[in-house]
Amino acid sequence: MRYPHLFAPITLNRLTLRNRVVSTAHAEVYAEPGGLPGERYIRYYEEKAKGGLGLAICGGSSPVSADSPQGWWKSVNLATDRVIDPLALLAETMHKHGARIMIQATHMGRRNSYYGEHWPHLVSPSGIREPVHRGNAKAIEREEIRRIVADFASAARRVQRAGMDGIEISAAHQQLIDQFWSPRTNFRSDEYGGSLPNRMRFGIEVLTAVREAVGEDFCVGLRMCGDEFHEDGLSHQVLQEIAAAMSGSGLIDYLSVVGSGADTHNTLANCMPPMALPPEPFVHLAAGIKSVSSVPVMHAQSIRDPVQAERILASGLVDMVGMTRAHIADPHFMIKVRDGREDQIRQCVGANYCIDRQYHGQDVLCIQNAATSRESTMPHVIVPSTGPVRRVVVVGAGPAGLEAARVARLRGHEVVLFERDDHVGGQVALAAKAPQREQMAGIVRWLDMETIRLGVDRRLGVAARVDTILDEQPDIVVLATGGQPNVGYPAWGVAEGLAVCARDVLAGRVEPGANVLVYDGISGHAGFGVADYLASRGSLVEIATPDVKIADDVGGTTFPVFYRRLYAQGMIPTPNVWLERVYAENGKIIAVLRNEYTEQLEERAVDLVVIENGIVPADELYWQLKARSRNLGQTDIDALYAARPQPCLSESLSTDEFLLFRVGDCVSMHNVHGALYDALRLVKDF
Amino acid sequence: MALRLDWALSVVVWLGALLLAAGLARRLALWRQGQPAPVAWSGLLAMPRRYFVDIHHVVAREPAIARAHVMTAGGAVAILLALGVNYGLMRYWPVLDVVTLACAVAMFAGAWQVRARRRAPPARLSRGSWNRLPYSLLLFAAGIALIMALFLLGPFALSRMFGRALAALAGIGLLLGGAELVLGIGIAGPMKHALAGLAHLAFHPRPERFGGRSTGLRPLDLRRPGLGVARAADFAWNRLLSFDACVQCGKCEAVCPAYAAGQPLNPKALIQGMVAAFAPGGPEYAGNPHPGQPQSSAGAVHADIVGSVLAAETLWSCTTCRACVEACPMLIEHVDTVIDLRRHIALNRGDVPGKGSEALANLRYTDTVGGHALAARHHWAVDLDIRVLGEGMNADWLLLVGEGGFDMRYQRALRALVTVMRRAGLDVALLGAAETDCGDLARRLGDEAGFQRLAATLIATLNRYRFAHIVTPDPHLFHCLKNEYPAFGGNFDVHHHSQLLAELIDRGALSLTAPASGGGSVTFHDPCYLGRYNGGFDAPRRVLRGIGVTVVEMPRSREDSRCCGWGGGAAFTDIPGARRIPDMRMDDIRASGAGRVVVACPNCSAMLEAVVGPRPEVIELAEWVAERLAVDVP
Repeated sequence: MRYPHLFAPITLNRLTLRNRVVSTAHAEVYAEPGGLPGERYIRYYEEKAKGGLGLAICGGSSPVSADSPQGWWKSVNLATDRVIDPLALLAETMHKHGARIMIQATHMGRRNSYYGEHWPHLVSPSGIREPVHRGNAKAIEREEIRRIVADFASAARRVQRAGMDGIEISAAHQQLIDQFWSPRTNFRSDEYGGSLPNRMRFGIEVLTAVREAVGEDFCVGLRMCGDEFHEDGLSHQVLQEIAAAMSGSGLIDYLSVVGSGADTHNTLANCMPPMALPPEPFVHLAAGIKSVSSVPVMHAQSIRDPVQAERILASGLVDMVGMTRAHIADPHFMIKVRDGREDQIRQCVGANYCIDRQYHGQDVLCIQNAATSRESTMPHVIVPSTGPVRRVVVVGAGPAGLEAARVARLRGHEVVLFERDDHVGGQVALAAKAPQREQMAGIVRWLDMETIRLGVDRRLGVAARVDTILDEQPDIVVLATGGQPNVGYPAWGVAEGLAVCARDVLAGRVEPGANVLVYDGISGHAGFGVADYLASRGSLVEIATPDVKIADDVGGTTFPVFYRRLYAQGMIPTPNVWLERVYAENGKIIAVLRNEYTEQLEERAVDLVVIENGIVPADELYWQLKARSRNLGQTDIDALYAARPQPCLSESLSTDEFLLFRVGDCVSMHNVHGALYDALRLVKDF
Repeated sequence: MALRLDWALSVVVWLGALLLAAGLARRLALWRQGQPAPVAWSGLLAMPRRYFVDIHHVVAREPAIARAHVMTAGGAVAILLALGVNYGLMRYWPVLDVVTLACAVAMFAGAWQVRARRRAPPARLSRGSWNRLPYSLLLFAAGIALIMALFLLGPFALSRMFGRALAALAGIGLLLGGAELVLGIGIAGPMKHALAGLAHLAFHPRPERFGGRSTGLRPLDLRRPGLGVARAADFAWNRLLSFDACVQCGKCEAVCPAYAAGQPLNPKALIQGMVAAFAPGGPEYAGNPHPGQPQSSAGAVHADIVGSVLAAETLWSCTTCRACVEACPMLIEHVDTVIDLRRHIALNRGDVPGKGSEALANLRYTDTVGGHALAARHHWAVDLDIRVLGEGMNADWLLLVGEGGFDMRYQRALRALVTVMRRAGLDVALLGAAETDCGDLARRLGDEAGFQRLAATLIATLNRYRFAHIVTPDPHLFHCLKNEYPAFGGNFDVHHHSQLLAELIDRGALSLTAPASGGGSVTFHDPCYLGRYNGGFDAPRRVLRGIGVTVVEMPRSREDSRCCGWGGGAAFTDIPGARRIPDMRMDDIRASGAGRVVVACPNCSAMLEAVVGPRPEVIELAEWVAERLAVDVP
């Protein structure tokens, strides 16, 4: 028997789960206006249920009260009866596939922003401001405590009435309950502050009210932190005391444990551990809680692999594993494990594109799976076409080209994939060269394995020319040729060898100099990555950018990891400057920087100037092929955006005619997700 | 002169009869070294039917040699009868001479064909005295024909020098050929098969197999000392007789999967080893040995068989697939022989190789082969909302899932089966943690005590619950319940799922609206325990036809199907060979050109899916039916 622990059912109160794998509560940012689950929300979860998941806990931080705004993250609003019907539909949908569904309920207290919706005055035990959300708050009064406790009970009744399988109360990530627990935020001198029993009082009142509302048989869980990682915060020992008290109260049926506090940018980055952190970095905290808990313990943080999950369960560290991002990357994770298709799992790499979007209030999307949360329009399982078998030639084996080849092959077509390099991956293969970014290669690895498994005719090391392509007698040509570094600005002197592009450094074509200026015009992952690459090899690195801060566009859980390295490596951050020009003088290279706000010029004498300025499309082939193609290389964007087949696909072609499309960076610079989405939405209808 | 020749022939006939009787007495004495066995004398009356119907079934698969055998053997028997009447009783009727002459001509023609085949014999045939036999038969037939011709021509012919010379030559031929016929029986020449074969038909250890199917193993009386067969003398006397019936045609060898895989088992050599054990000193065995093993004919009736005439690995190579039994024209029961010998080893020495001992220990301690918690058998079903039968509950169909419930691949098939049964409106329930192993593996590995305990446990459990029918997708479980549990008081209405699915499709209980997936051609792999053991050849094919799938048959299909390599615990004892049986079976499947192979047994599915490298897809019967239902299998 494979994975005996992963597939062992567990019963929480009266709720039996078919396996030990949970999609834990996270902010999806999919709820319809007013905080109601709609079609997109339900189909996102349904896909996981179809995929064999045991339990999904939806609605990360779904508020129970009006003074805990939900609009920033479009979470589910449990403060209204209108939520019952949509939740009922969600529950029914999940049950149809044998999965269970719970929802997280919370009051976020100060962990919020006041400027929006009702413009509430946020509440917190002692009115201490929360830095991440700029959460100015007032000290909560007893009457407000009573109101909010009652709100929790009302929310729980709504959840139960909807036919959901349970409710999880959040006391993790510094929500109102753990704001009472934490000495960082609770300085009260009344019965809600001071001693630990006093600080736990509010939480116990909430759980008591919830239990009274739902009765003995309904599953109630509690999510809590295992260590806040703050000198003045909750330590693991104190949290063990809290866990023992909470589980011993008889009010809850399981504990879910996460490591790290979340009220600063740096601690928050731990909560959804990015690829820079080791696997399951905080499972020891969950195990510590389990050692004092009288109810089963769940833990989610960087558990992305079935063997890893089985090992964690088998060694008894926890009772259930959360594999939340793992299911965002591949909602069919569990049936693939069950059916022995582990190699076909699109494994989460911890790029945190999902959570970094959520940080900006954008809907959660997966960097490597463009179908996730687009279930209404984009298929997770590509079914073969019933139309003609076409000969599809794809040029370029970066993410866009690999995805186009994969999807076309699954549609049943004959697919030839040309790649100039002797390996696949394109720019992502380079991105994985940066320190602690190695796992980016996982995105390519899956596409690599799938295109091999599916029998794509891959011609690596072949630079396709027009005649190479036409010799294949294609019905469709998809160009995914990516781009070249956008370093053609003459004053930068790249052509003269005065400066080099980041790509050449990462590819190992340039020796690191002793004293290096990295100029990052984009503020994505690449600029910091190349700076870190050089600093790790002993260079003294200054990183300059016209943006307001270094790596400004990488997202809230990624920049803290970069900044840890920035300071640890002694890199010099210089924001707000443009690279004016580069010239040589006395054996040194002089870089001239212009301050955005003062217009003042500064010079740097260095050994090497490295420029990361994004790409310009590599479109030579396109212009050579365009006039010969039936559709003149045009993609019908109305059809594309509506996820409909391209109209030209239904036209019949004579033998020497072909259709021409472009996807990804060879049209204009996008990111990895954009490249994959371009390919999927176009090719799914071939 | 003529009269004296008549007399001479009468003397020869009587002498032959006496030698035959003496030889038979010797064989009888050898057989009677075995244990007493209850036999029905009515078997003697049934013999002709068994000969002309049951054996004919087998030999008719090779028509040319069957015809040759009819001419040779029929001719010889007729000649012997005619001589017995005409010369034994000294009637000397010319008309019988004419008949005898005709029979001799027929026999000569038959023996000539046998000789022709012997000139380039297939590898499975034994050489040695078996290569001499056609010539002896030709001499005998020619001698008789000549003598009869001379008698018919009368004194005129014999009065000539030439005639007398011919008569002398014919006499010599008759004596030499006749010696093969009459002496061979006593001193173990090839012709021993004739009388032993007939006696075997009359006193067959499994008389039920005639006109039916008898494949269940016989219970072993655990209170009697010995437990199984260690020495030849431990076999029942009619089992020893059955070994003597072997004609060394090697049809068993040609179909044995273990032999083909280069494992140390040749079923023909196995049977000849048994002969060597109870009748030592016979002619040297001149057939292919157990691969990788020296063939020893140095047996002794009171010596342990294992270690003298064969090695233990030979026994543990057997998959109990019954291909040998099915192929044997003499209706010898090879599998019973293997199991009797295994029983002795397993019950007295516990020396079961490979993972066999571990599996038996698991069964002893956990009632599962894999050492699992019983409740884990149905973990795959917790989200299906399927009833678990409890005291006082009632179900129409009880689904027993067997060890396949622990196999994650097979769980897919089980979920599909449940889905299909429910869509057909059947009231189906599981046994939950009360389901214990049926004991198949224990029994095949020789642990009869373990089997009897497991059988008693499961029978007691089943008797506690109320249900109308049992269905199982596991042919081994099916076989145990259907054919072996009645001996222990377990009588249940048990169906293999292929039978149930076929019935559901036949009566239109399933709405098959979804298009069939796949495309490309499909073949079906017959599970031994469904096919050869239970004759379940048609039901799975009916199911596939019913869902619109056309099956491309492999040459080795139905009765001739090749085992996947799991049966009889062979996957556990794992005796090394030159190849793996499932790899060979997958080659059969590839050779059919099929892109998909349908299986109907959890063990076949495990063995075939474990074949590495690119290969046809393995799909379980129920999975494909479910696919056509237009419903998601959760």
